[in-house]
Amino acid sequence: MMNSTNNLDFVKEFVNSKVQVLKTESVDKQQLAFEVNQNDVHLLLSSLKSAGWIQMSYLSAIDWIEENKFEMVYVLFNWDKPVYIQVRAKIDRENPVMDSILPIFPGAKYYEREVHEFFGIAFPGNPDYKKQLILEGWDDIPPMRKDFDPKVYSDRKFPKREYPQDFSVTDPKNNSKAKREAREVRATSLRGGKKQ
Amino acid sequence: MKSTKFTPVTKLSKEEVDRKWWEIGDFFRRNSLWMLMYCTGCCAIELPPAMTSAYDMERLGMGPMATPRQADILLVSGYLSLKTLRRLIYTYEQMSEPRFVVALGSCPINGGIYHDSHAVINQLDQYIPVDVYVAGCMPNTESVMNGFVDLMIKIKNKTAVGWKNYHKNFEWYKENQLNSLGEVVVHDEFHQ
Amino acid sequence: MILNLLVGLGVALFGFVLQTGLAGFNRKIIGRLQKRHGPKWYQEYLDIFKLLSKKSISHGWIFDFGVIMALGGIIGTAMFMPLTSTFLAFENYDNFFIFVYLLAVGMLGMAMSASGSGNPWASIGVMRALTTMLAYEVPFMIVVLTIIKISGTSSVAGIQLFQQAAGNNWFIIALPLGGIVAVLALMGMLGKKPFETYIAPAEIASGPMVEYGGKQLGMLFILHEISVFIEVSLFVHLFLGGATNIFIFIVKYAAVYTFVNLISNVNGRFKIDQVVKFFYKWPLLMAVTQAVVAIYFGWVI
Repeated sequence: MMNSTNNLDFVKEFVNSKVQVLKTESVDKQQLAFEVNQNDVHLLLSSLKSAGWIQMSYLSAIDWIEENKFEMVYVLFNWDKPVYIQVRAKIDRENPVMDSILPIFPGAKYYEREVHEFFGIAFPGNPDYKKQLILEGWDDIPPMRKDFDPKVYSDRKFPKREYPQDFSVTDPKNNSKAKREAREVRATSLRGGKKQ
Repeated sequence: MKSTKFTPVTKLSKEEVDRKWWEIGDFFRRNSLWMLMYCTGCCAIELPPAMTSAYDMERLGMGPMATPRQADILLVSGYLSLKTLRRLIYTYEQMSEPRFVVALGSCPINGGIYHDSHAVINQLDQYIPVDVYVAGCMPNTESVMNGFVDLMIKIKNKTAVGWKNYHKNFEWYKENQLNSLGEVVVHDEFHQ
Repeated sequence: MILNLLVGLGVALFGFVLQTGLAGFNRKIIGRLQKRHGPKWYQEYLDIFKLLSKKSISHGWIFDFGVIMALGGIIGTAMFMPLTSTFLAFENYDNFFIFVYLLAVGMLGMAMSASGSGNPWASIGVMRALTTMLAYEVPFMIVVLTIIKISGTSSVAGIQLFQQAAGNNWFIIALPLGGIVAVLALMGMLGKKPFETYIAPAEIASGPMVEYGGKQLGMLFILHEISVFIEVSLFVHLFLGGATNIFIFIVKYAAVYTFVNLISNVNGRFKIDQVVKFFYKWPLLMAVTQAVVAIYFGWVI
């Protein structure tokens, strides 16, 4: 019987029997997340693939800048026992290197190119992980890192339009301009300072 | 026998003759505008009601055309990322003259809700000349039709001269494009 | 001789003006059918003159030459078309096979210039146009050969006079199966949906017309209008009995064109293999049956 609680228990037993699991989290009614060590990822992924989780839905990374680590996330899906499994592993942020999972899931070629472009993680084993996929001619640090400020980049490269004249659509003759400005000063002082 | 009386006929000067021909051309051009629906961003969803029976665009003479060489108006709807802008400049330079650009939405005016993004440009005016802006996020379909009628009035008053400005200030536009885009040549896997 | 040439050019000009006005009027009818106001009735004239007033880009001399050759060929073909059963520009030169032969010049010119532009969409469009022509020509020729055998002459004016003789019906009533095949073949010739594969605006970016802009596109539009005039006039003369004066001709012409337009408005678009399969199934069968019935058994209504 395809009961989802049976499936979840099966998955938990299976994963715990293969590798050492650091943390388990039940994300959704049909989704489980397991955090493992970086060296166990390949073993877990290949055993999950032979147990039926043949579709890799997503591959990405999360930037934990306070802990100085990246976290790789692999999401797998099974069509017979419908459970999403998230496999997470923390890797070093200064010199991020992660072995490519191309031998296990060949479709990960483009995902790893995207992760390299946006986070800067190297994937030895993937022959062209350095080729550009989405950004063309990028000249700054990889943009999805937390120490990249998109607003600063945008102000530097794309000049903003200056409005030399204050204009209001509902009040074109500026009859109540003083009242509006006083109201705005009061509102920002209540919010606790000038807003960003 | 030749007559000796001779009343001089006032001949129009060359500029006046050119202007009259251009006015006739303007009448034809403003009553049958063909647009290239380059649906760049979200504002493109305002186009189907404008093209079909709700707010009929065909009674103004406008219609959609398939390729840039056949179209008069380049309709830029919504935000423009860097990649799209490179291809848009290619497309704009392929159109046959006289050509016009209509920008829908707030994103070509000052960046709109994507003004602090690293991949979206803020002012379209710096890169290609724009004739009519239609503000809103997104504008109502009646505003879009109003924008088209404004373009037709501008053609009648001979103030829709974006394409001439592009030729006159070509170096300025190119400099802006190279500053923001890096290069306008398209480098990706499919163009090698 | 010079007078004949001038009258012929007048016929071509009349055909162009009639067809362009009627096309704009049909756009208004289709618009009303879709619950909206359509464009003005002179919208097609505005389109053509706007295109002729734009600056255009050329891709080499074969690109320009092909368009001019196609336009010249089509104007030459239209000069031979009889307007009524007695008004011809060139007497004894209105044989049906002259039209079939000269229509190919137009197609050939457009194919030449489209392939000279170097765009792969243009080559695909030209290939599709020639395949469509291959599909609809065979049933159409069988029916027309039946008509020529029954009426005994292959001159278009002669066929009109045969139908107008007392006791003879129009061929669309006398050969009913042939009439249906002819309507379908007419829709294929005009390039109306569902046989619109060779233009296919959103699919192959309007096929052969992809690289044209400005003046060449204006000339192509004139070419299209005059070729529509030739094809619908042929249908009127061969199947609807022609006309004795010009007003009846205009009425019949408008009726046929509007009817074809109304049918094509509610249809989608076939793929190219569906077009060929469609024309080689029932229309071919009906045409052959009609030919056998009319010639061997002599059962003509």
